[in-house]
Amino acid sequence: MTIHRTCDGVRRRDFLQIGTAAIAGVNLAGYLSMAQADELAASQGKNAIFVNLPGGPSHMDTFDLKPDAPTEFRGTFNPIKTNVAGIEISEHLPKLAQCADKYVVLRGVSHTLAAHRLGSEYVNTGNRPLASLEYPGYGAVVTKELKQPSKTDDVPPFVAIPRSAQRAGFLGVQYAPLNTGATPRPGQPFSVRGVTLGNGLTINEVTKRQNLLSDLDTVFKKAEQNNQLLKGMNEFDKQARAMITSKAAREAFDINREPESYAKKFGTTPFGMSCLLATRLVGAGVKFVTVSYGGWDTHRDNFTTLKNRQLPAFDEGLAALFTGLAEKGLLESTVVYVTGEFGRTPKINTRTAEGGRDHYPRCMFMLLAGGGVQGGQVIGKSDANATAPADAGISPDDVAATFYQAMGIDHTKEYASGTGRPITIVRNGTPIKQAFV
Amino acid sequence: MNSRLFIFLGLMVGLILIAAPVEAVDTIAPLPSRFSDTDIDEVPDFQKHVVPLLSRLGCNGRACHGSLQGRGDFRLSLFGYDFAADFKELNNPDSPRIDKADSEASLVLTMPTDADVHGGGKRFDPAGWEYRVLHNWIQGGATFDVDNVAKLKRLEISPTEIQFSATGEAEQLTVIAVWQDGLREDVTPLVRFTTNDKVIAAVDENGLITAGIGTGDTHVVIAYDKAVVPIPVIRPVSKLAGRRFPKVETPTRVDELVVEKLRKLGIVPSALSTDAEFFRRLSLDLTGTLPTAKAVEEFLADTSSNKRSKKIDELLETPAYAAWWATKLCDFTGNNDQQLVNTSPVRNAPGEIWYRWIEQRLAQNMPYDELAAGIILATSKKPNQSYIDYCRDMTELHGVDRDQKISQMETMPYYWARREFRNPPERAISFAYAFMGIRIQCAQCHKHPFDVWSKQDFAEFSNFFSGVVFGNTPVGKDRAVYQSMLKDLGISQLRGGDLRRELTNKIRAGETVPFPMLYTRGPRKVDENGRSGGSVLTEASILGGDVVRFEQGQDVREPLMQWLRSKENPYFAKAFVNRVWANYFNVGIVDPPDDLSLANPPSNAALLEYLTQGFLDHDFDIKWLQREIINSRTYQLSWQTNETNQGDHSNFSHQVPRRLPAEVTVDAIAMATASDEEAQRLHAEMKGRAISIASSSERFLQGNNASTFGLMVFGRSTRETSCECDRSGDPTLLQTVYLQNDQDVHRLLDRRNTGWLYQVAQENKWALTGVGRVSNSSNSTSRKPPANYAQLMQSLEKRIAYHRKQGDATALVKSLQDRRRMYVQRFGPPNSTKKENVVAEGRVDDNSKDDKVARQVSGAEEIVKQAYLRTLSRYPTEQELVKCIKYINESEDTINGIRGVLWALVNTKEFVVNH
Repeated sequence: MTIHRTCDGVRRRDFLQIGTAAIAGVNLAGYLSMAQADELAASQGKNAIFVNLPGGPSHMDTFDLKPDAPTEFRGTFNPIKTNVAGIEISEHLPKLAQCADKYVVLRGVSHTLAAHRLGSEYVNTGNRPLASLEYPGYGAVVTKELKQPSKTDDVPPFVAIPRSAQRAGFLGVQYAPLNTGATPRPGQPFSVRGVTLGNGLTINEVTKRQNLLSDLDTVFKKAEQNNQLLKGMNEFDKQARAMITSKAAREAFDINREPESYAKKFGTTPFGMSCLLATRLVGAGVKFVTVSYGGWDTHRDNFTTLKNRQLPAFDEGLAALFTGLAEKGLLESTVVYVTGEFGRTPKINTRTAEGGRDHYPRCMFMLLAGGGVQGGQVIGKSDANATAPADAGISPDDVAATFYQAMGIDHTKEYASGTGRPITIVRNGTPIKQAFV
Repeated sequence: MNSRLFIFLGLMVGLILIAAPVEAVDTIAPLPSRFSDTDIDEVPDFQKHVVPLLSRLGCNGRACHGSLQGRGDFRLSLFGYDFAADFKELNNPDSPRIDKADSEASLVLTMPTDADVHGGGKRFDPAGWEYRVLHNWIQGGATFDVDNVAKLKRLEISPTEIQFSATGEAEQLTVIAVWQDGLREDVTPLVRFTTNDKVIAAVDENGLITAGIGTGDTHVVIAYDKAVVPIPVIRPVSKLAGRRFPKVETPTRVDELVVEKLRKLGIVPSALSTDAEFFRRLSLDLTGTLPTAKAVEEFLADTSSNKRSKKIDELLETPAYAAWWATKLCDFTGNNDQQLVNTSPVRNAPGEIWYRWIEQRLAQNMPYDELAAGIILATSKKPNQSYIDYCRDMTELHGVDRDQKISQMETMPYYWARREFRNPPERAISFAYAFMGIRIQCAQCHKHPFDVWSKQDFAEFSNFFSGVVFGNTPVGKDRAVYQSMLKDLGISQLRGGDLRRELTNKIRAGETVPFPMLYTRGPRKVDENGRSGGSVLTEASILGGDVVRFEQGQDVREPLMQWLRSKENPYFAKAFVNRVWANYFNVGIVDPPDDLSLANPPSNAALLEYLTQGFLDHDFDIKWLQREIINSRTYQLSWQTNETNQGDHSNFSHQVPRRLPAEVTVDAIAMATASDEEAQRLHAEMKGRAISIASSSERFLQGNNASTFGLMVFGRSTRETSCECDRSGDPTLLQTVYLQNDQDVHRLLDRRNTGWLYQVAQENKWALTGVGRVSNSSNSTSRKPPANYAQLMQSLEKRIAYHRKQGDATALVKSLQDRRRMYVQRFGPPNSTKKENVVAEGRVDDNSKDDKVARQVSGAEEIVKQAYLRTLSRYPTEQELVKCIKYINESEDTINGIRGVLWALVNTKEFVVNH
């Protein structure tokens, strides 16, 4: 148990809460307008899938094409129609074009951090990075806010496939994700660190050992009532045993249990398999899943790389994720958030014969879907050559606020950082109303 | 300069001192009584009355107009004290809050008296004294002289200490402000009162303290103007307080001071810990290392009466002591690999130099002030060294014998090199955290709520840090040398990342390359955005203290260091003493240990004072401090509590069970599962030990590097934000999952050659069954040794012995030893390989499966004992022994039974909780 003092002079005792939200936060909901509070109450998001595209995908070759731009900007890809009248995306995303009614395309999202690490921190937390503070990623906040107290779950609340740029930051390691460490492969058993039994262990053997452990672990018995640490460890012990020996947990990670008719559309690529696993985990009760799909740093040979390597798997996997969730009836309750750390330079560089695109945070795209977000629309606009937003632009903070609203989390809520500083979940964002209508 | 500093210190002490004898000067009555008369025409003072009143009314609170955005177009400085800004805001022409022509119409009067229009509700009554104070100030012309801020001399508070004996008892505080000009005023109704624990003592806005349901001790904190004063409140826990307190042993001064406080509280300390508990605790706390089974047995068998202090002396000389405390000092100073990217052509070298430099000095027991000075006053070049010579030195440093070169480095410059700590305010925050144990970041934006520092003080202090520059290219005439070096290397056309890569290649090829370096210049004024520019300063002030002047060209860090190490410094020695204490007691005497603010007083001021003074008197001798603390009976008390002390967490009446730090946990698992020989090695040399990993960062811990996973799970410090909270000691679900079922733990249990299970199997000629996939893993592979293995090892031994005798370079001997170890890890000890092959092929089966119930595994008792000694550092009880033997006997194969026992022991709370 530690005592945190916040800058408002109030001391709070953060009693250790077992696998659930600590009470460090100060709820400022009182300051929200009534309308905002209603919106929060009406939100439908219960789980989330965050698809991270590290490297920074080109906006101009995917969701924000400029067929009329001069050659040195335009690139070789052409737009195609989608199943929503008036929305066009890249010809190399045909499957996503067929489900454009499911998601919102945000264009003209804009920030100023052109380095991978800083940009990544920004889009994974919704806050511009600060030297003196490590903001928690979305997954950590969602885990803290939505995990039901005192429920002994078989499945972990936050899973990263295979690992995540989203950290627990100042919220502390208890909100860190369980990393799968690898992506599943079709038809093969999938091993997950800590969940899969290693070294030839059987459930029977583990149960025997755990019984012995219960028999031996008695020294602190009397002290446990008065000690938060020991009490907490007992609770976690119960949960860990459930997770390691439970059928439900193991089956949640076993994509081979999905019917062929469902799994087929995800294809066989690592990204597609990750998307399949993500939908399965959400169905099993995992609150937050990140899927990471890199390779977008196309400084050279932008077009061949996108066309042959990046986009086919992306198109197949992500389209299957949207339609798969819809098929299972999970899209209503699952918010999907897709982003890289920045867009890429509209002007094509001449480093290679074919040309590439460099880091470009001023103009990028993001996708949002599910949890009350009304798909089938484009929000925001970039200028003629996709070099900047055509209007005021959308900040990563705004998208963060929108995401939290979809999840029913008040983004103006405050936590106390380790030094007691009051920190709002999203410092500068305003929810994008249009996303919900 | 010093005398001025003493004045500053005197002022601070003065603010803390309470209730000086009442002087024969009239005290002005408090505002409510003066303004009770509706016809009063007194005009109150903006600083002394108006701002504190707004504060009392809650106007400048964080949730209201004190928030950074303000509320309703009206923003006040948080917690007041920025008088000029508040005055300006009240008179803001765009949204004036006061109306001098029609004072009643002023918004500061109309809004807070009208619940319907005011978002913050009704704050006071139009007929009340608060209204008249604000009204009269406006009517009197609403003046404030920005250039003449009054100086508060001290607060006189009575009573000075409060003792309660029953719930519901109450005591009224009176607070008198004494101003520099001698004016005295009762300001009780204008003061901000807060309690540090309302379960023990609640306090209302008028200063009435009421005893809550809790017992123990806490403080009520009084804030007015710049002053922050804590008043202790005590409520004995039992009837044993004072004269009825039983006689307890107090062999050391530390014990006397601890017990003095416990006597007041009626808290009886626990009994002395057992020898086994003591040894395990000491070894983990002092050296971050689990004792070996053998060492435990020897210690328990030792019958000498001074064996505990003997053991303390012995452990202080081990390499693990220096390694573990270097890790702690790297936490405090922020050795973060991400911050050090591109500060050297050799990646990871700066972090390693940082760690190693500290480790070596801890091993030599360099006085703490010298060690700190080596970091604070660091330069890259030695005095009068040329740039080219510096580059030669650094290039050499990255070759062989790095350790020796590092030991010759007088200073360690990378503290100042960190990328995100190059702007002066961030440096000021990090410096205050590392060397003063205080959190001044609040004052970056507003008056510090728990201390005397204002925004202005913070800005002034930041000026000290604008004179240090760490850059890739040198300045002045060295720049030409730098350019010509690049030219000679044939890479002068390269820039940025390309240049860095090429420099790395060149240094690998043994060429001398230019190195980034630290240099100093005259400090420049820091602006609001934290950037330094403009004119060179010739003075700066230390956190609101007196002004320090420096000469042109002087390294401004020197007067700062001089201030730190002076005997009167209120922070430097104390912060370190407190941190060392916290290492042994779970909490500091001031807790959290990095928050030495006025509002967070020590739980035992006399104790902290004694240790700090002793540390100074012993010239910052770190080992003296360690000994003084851990030789006390207080440290050696049991964790088991009695009726009176079970609720005590801050007065050191018993030991508090606490989770092992991340590095210590990871090492302990490796140690507990290691063969006797391997465990011995892990004690003797730090290679492969988690406590000797140099750097850290979020990225490092989250990285793909599998070896850091355990460290991340158990919360190794990320060293990101200048906060103790970068390290976590909380339990999590992932930790339990890790201990029960992570591949790391399975692999350690099953490792060949260096594992204990392997050793047991070898000794008993049992099959090492159930290993599963582990044999695929590279570090536990058991390969067939080369045919001439025995010969090869023999000649290796000979060479090691020869070079040792010759006194050859340690690096050479070390590399030979490393090779020997690699062989042993891969193929096992030379004499045992034969045996091993038999086992691996033939599976010696001493226990047929059909009579498993009646089966008695021979030697099981000794094996279980050894398992207990290597995990819990004690012998098993009779009951435990029976349970474990039964488990082994009932297991289908013996080794798997033993594996289950070892697994269970590593998973007990007793293993991972120091107690």
